[in-house]
Parts: sequence; C-alpha cells; structure tokens
Amino acid sequence: MTQRLTMENLRKWVPLFVLIGLVLFFTAVNPNFLSLRNFARIAISSSPALMVATGVTFVILMGSIDLSMEGTIAVCAVLFALMLNALGGSLSGAGWLAIPGALLIGAVLGAVNGLIHVKLKIPSFMASLSLGFVGIGLSLLITGGDRILIEDPIFRSLLTVRVGGFPLMAWAALACLLIAWFIQDDTTVGRNFYAVGGGEDLARASGLNTGRLRVTGFIVAGIFYALGAIFAVARLGIAETETGQNFMFVSITSVVVGGTSLSGGSGGVWNTLVGVLIVNVIGNGMVVVGLPDYFQDGVLGLLVIAAVYLSTDRRSLFFVK
Amino acid sequence: MSFIKNYIEHQTLNRRNLLLLSAWGLCGAAASSSLIGRQAAAATSPDPKICWSYRDRTNPFWNSIVAGGEAFVRSLGRQSGDLINLINGGSSEKSLSDIQSLLSRYGSGVALAVDPNDMPNCRPVVEAVSHAGAYVSTIWNKTDDLHPWDFGDNYVSHMTWSDVGPSEQTARVLFDAMGGKGGVVHLGGIASNNPAIERQQGFKNALKAYPNIQLLAIQAADWDTQKANQVMSGFLTRYGDAIKGVHCASDTMAYGVIEALRAEGIENMPVVSYDGNPQAIEMIAKGKLLATVFTNAYWAGGITASLAYYAATGAFKPSAEPREHREFYGPTAVITTKDAQEFKTKYIDTNPEYNWKDFWSLAKGPIRYKS
Repeated sequence: MTQRLTMENLRKWVPLFVLIGLVLFFTAVNPNFLSLRNFARIAISSSPALMVATGVTFVILMGSIDLSMEGTIAVCAVLFALMLNALGGSLSGAGWLAIPGALLIGAVLGAVNGLIHVKLKIPSFMASLSLGFVGIGLSLLITGGDRILIEDPIFRSLLTVRVGGFPLMAWAALACLLIAWFIQDDTTVGRNFYAVGGGEDLARASGLNTGRLRVTGFIVAGIFYALGAIFAVARLGIAETETGQNFMFVSITSVVVGGTSLSGGSGGVWNTLVGVLIVNVIGNGMVVVGLPDYFQDGVLGLLVIAAVYLSTDRRSLFFVK
Repeated sequence: MSFIKNYIEHQTLNRRNLLLLSAWGLCGAAASSSLIGRQAAAATSPDPKICWSYRDRTNPFWNSIVAGGEAFVRSLGRQSGDLINLINGGSSEKSLSDIQSLLSRYGSGVALAVDPNDMPNCRPVVEAVSHAGAYVSTIWNKTDDLHPWDFGDNYVSHMTWSDVGPSEQTARVLFDAMGGKGGVVHLGGIASNNPAIERQQGFKNALKAYPNIQLLAIQAADWDTQKANQVMSGFLTRYGDAIKGVHCASDTMAYGVIEALRAEGIENMPVVSYDGNPQAIEMIAKGKLLATVFTNAYWAGGITASLAYYAATGAFKPSAEPREHREFYGPTAVITTKDAQEFKTKYIDTNPEYNWKDFWSLAKGPIRYKS
C-alpha cells in the first residue's frame, strides 16, 4: 500500500522530472543552454503559449475540448491592434482600453463557442473547431490579409524591458497564471470544473447547472486566449491572421504533456506551466544542440509521446479511446 | 463595424446585378455570359469570368498578387469583387476540385490565373481547363516536362522567378556590410519549396567568394514569423556573439529575426531578406533591414490574369507567340538602403498604373531548365 502511494505520488511529479531531465540533457550537449539569457528566451516564446494553454486547461478539466484558439487569437490580436491604433496608438493614452476590449472580445467568442456546444448539443470538438475557422475567416475579412504594426514603445516594453533578467511579458504571464490558479482552487466555479470532469452525472444529480458551468468554462478560456493574443502581438509587434497559427498544437500538447488528463477531472494550471515549458524547452533545445531541421518535428513528436506515457497512470485506465 | 456593413452592401449589389443579368439573359439574349458556358466547344468568349486560384490571403506575397488581379479587373471597368477568388489553403486537392467546380459552372467562359500549389498538380489543372475549352495562366509550380505550347491556346503562359541570382546578390550585400568576415546564419523556407531551395543556393554561391565568412548554421523556419523568432533565439544561445549577420529567405521570417534581436537589445545586426513586402521596404528605408528582393507580385497578379483573359477573348492568339512569351521569368530587383526611399514612393505608396495589355514588358527572359 505504501509502495503504491509513493508510486502515485511520484507520478504526479513525472512531468517536472521530464522537464529537469530535458534541461540536463540539452545542457550536457551544449552548456550555453543553461544560462539566464537562454531561459529568458524560452520565457519569451512560452508566455503567449502559456496563456492559451491555461485557457484550454479549464475546458479540458471539464472533459470537453476547445480547438477554437487559433481563430479566437487571430480575431483578438487584430481587433486589439486596431483598437490600440484607433485610440491614439499608445497605452499611455486612451489606448489602454484596447486591453479590456480584447479580453471582452475573447470572452464573447468563448461564450458563443460554449453556447453553441451546450444549447445546440454539438460536441465541443466539432463546435470549437468550426468556430476556429469562423474566427480565421473573420480576422481575414477585417484585415483584408494585411498586417497591422504596433510601434508603441510602452506596449513593446513587455518585450524590451527586463526585470531580474526576464522581460516584463514573462512576469505578466506569471501573474495571469496565479489568477488562473486562484480561479481553479479557490472559486466555486473552479472546483465545479473538476466535479463535472470527474463525473458529469454525479455533478448534475447534486444540483449543479452543468450547462451554465460549461459556458462559463469556455468564456474563461476565451479571456485567456485574448491574453495570449496580446502577448503574441507584444512579442512581434505585428497583428495578423497568422498570429494564431500553431497555437492549437502547442497548447493541447502542453496540457497533455503536463499531465492533465484529456478525459477531465485531474490536472491543473501548474501542470500546464510545466507542459508549456517542456514543449518550449524541446523547441529551443533542438536548435541549440544543432539537430538537423528535418529531424526536429519527428523528435518533438516522439518526445511528446514519451512524456505522456511517463506521466499517465495506465493501470487506472480501463480503456483508451 | 462599418466594414461588415460595406461588405454586405457590396455582396447585395453583386447579387442584384447577377439576378438582373440572369433575367436579361433568360429574356432571350443568347450572348448572356451565363449561357455561354454551355457551349463547351466555343473558341473564345467575349466576357469570360476572371478567377485567381492561390493559397491564402494572409501572406503578404499572395495579398499583393490578388491586389494586382483586382487592379486588372478594375481596368476592364468591372468591380474588384468581380474577381473570383479560389483559396486552396495549401491543399492541391482543393485547388483542383475548386477549379473543376468553376469549370462545370461556367464552362469555356473562364479565364483562370493559378498557382497550382505544388508541381505535380499543375498537369491535372491545365488538362481540366483545356478539356473545358477555357484558358489558364500559371505561376510558380509546374513540372519541367509540361509546356504551354503542348496545349495549343488554352494553356496561355507560365511565369516563375529565378531566385538564385538575386539571393546571391543580397548575400553579397550582407557580407560586405559584415566587413567580409564573421559568422552568418541562414533561415530558409519550407525545405521542399522550390524558392526555398533556390534562395539557399544563391546564399551558398555567395559564400564561395567570401572565404572569411563562416557559415554557422542553416535552418528552415517555414516562411513563418513566429517560428523564425524562435529559431533565431535558439541561434543566439548556440552561437552568441559569433553571429554577425543573418540571411533570411523571406521578409516574413526577417521580421521574426529582427524582433528576436530586439528582445536582446541588439539593434544594428545586418539582416537581409527576400520578397520586397511594403513593411520590409519601410524597414530598409529606416535602416533596420539591409536589403530585400522585390518580385513585383502586384504586377504578376495582374498580368497573369490579363494573359488568360485576353487569350480567352481572342485579343491575341497564344500559339502565334514565340516560346519566350509563354514561359518566362518574372521581374526581380534588389532593393538596398540607397534606393529604398525612391522605390517606396514609386511602388509602395501608390501602385504604378500598369498597361495590362503590355504583357511582357517586365518579363526577364525565357525559363532555362537544368537538364
């Protein structure tokens, strides 16, 4: 019994061990990897992905899935940039309103997503995937394929100003993660995400309005996608339809690699942080050790399978679908 | 939200026009455009539908191509919205099936400009169009054994760009700016894409002439700004201060590289790119970027549609033209800090008025095949 308990305890920490193992491995091949400057680089590439992955964590905790992030990010990024430029082009003036504006747009898109899923009883996989395409189309319609540039030095200070060696963006992302942690652990809604994910029938039988909760989950996710969009724009100074590209793969992979179960009910935002770091450490590390690029995608895939294998307790699964 | 309102108004107008036109056609005018499609063997058509088939509009290059196509359509006194856009999203299957649907709708009354997405897809596209008696001009992707003159008039022309030379020129600009010595990295496009291969080849050719330039690494960043950003930060960790210059195979990747450098507080690293997007020209004028290559996608987009259109109306007979008028290279011009400002006023701030009937004015000679 004691042994079993230790195994279970250990398994919880496996993603973290994988992360440390990867860091040690890349450092052994190229000592430059283990430096504050490189960690800052990894932090920059992780910040937008962390927000998106945190958002989708809430949805996955409920046992649903949300694949609309690429469209939502594209729309939020483009409208954020348009609002910022229309309101004077600087955060110091009225431009700061673009931030709550973008978050509101993220929330609205999330609500639409959730309502379609719940009210029309369409599986979240299909509803969100389709809405993602709608989002891409919408942002293309808004921009006409053009890129919107943001020059505001105050906004770009998220990338250019450093505190303790890390850019402001990384600290801001960490603050948002703490908020997500609070939502997850210390609010009724957060606890109910676990209840629905662990067993929807039970949750419903004990009087929980699961439909409303699901919509709430998608709204929270949408807000975090909007945060991800803002960081992604801050990183490059460009808002365009392609801003959302690749976030679907990165965020879902990160959540799963971090140890949050796709069937819902277990895991959380700290797992997601570890998962995002694993994926970005692999991405950065492969360039740093000089792996030929035609190997990189394949190796990433294999490492993801290995990480998921190590972090899931297969004995507790009767079947895998 | 006025853009949505405008869009809906525009679409409603189009719909109204279509209804009016159809009614007019049904009332007995045999020449109505919607009926011409039924005569599969018709040689030419007075008013063919003009269509551009391409990957998607999010990429600045394709955005310029379509803008040129729209400018050509406007030159005929039609509206921009009359250009039919077939967007394949990078799928050859979708490219072909969309074109087949278009042909079954309008038959021979189609003037099609197309990038077939990949080389093997060019043949089925051209065969479908020529079977329907319509007209097609292609750009970029075509196998070496496929030639417009093998299809009579229906396969009007093919244009591509030779990227080796211009890419070598930008590399030389870069190496000179580096003082002829130091480490350099190259960020390439999707490894299997022809332009990615040619641009890397040009870079390597230039390296031979500069023995003191050290090639540190070559890595594909798939034409993608965000990926280039991450690859460049990886390079900074791996090589640190050894990197003295960056050669990028596209403007979009250069933006990511420059932001990765900016995050580290590096402002004056020489970077060169390719494609000549407005943003890149702007950056050259400001001294943030050293050089790029302008491929005039705007002209290419207009002239490719124009060739197909005027062949379809019978204004010229493709089979009567010499071979260098049917397969030719598109224009390329290296833009450096010296000429960026002048270039910007001439080509970026306003698009020059092109004569869309002057088909080969900017062409750069017949395509040469490696055999």
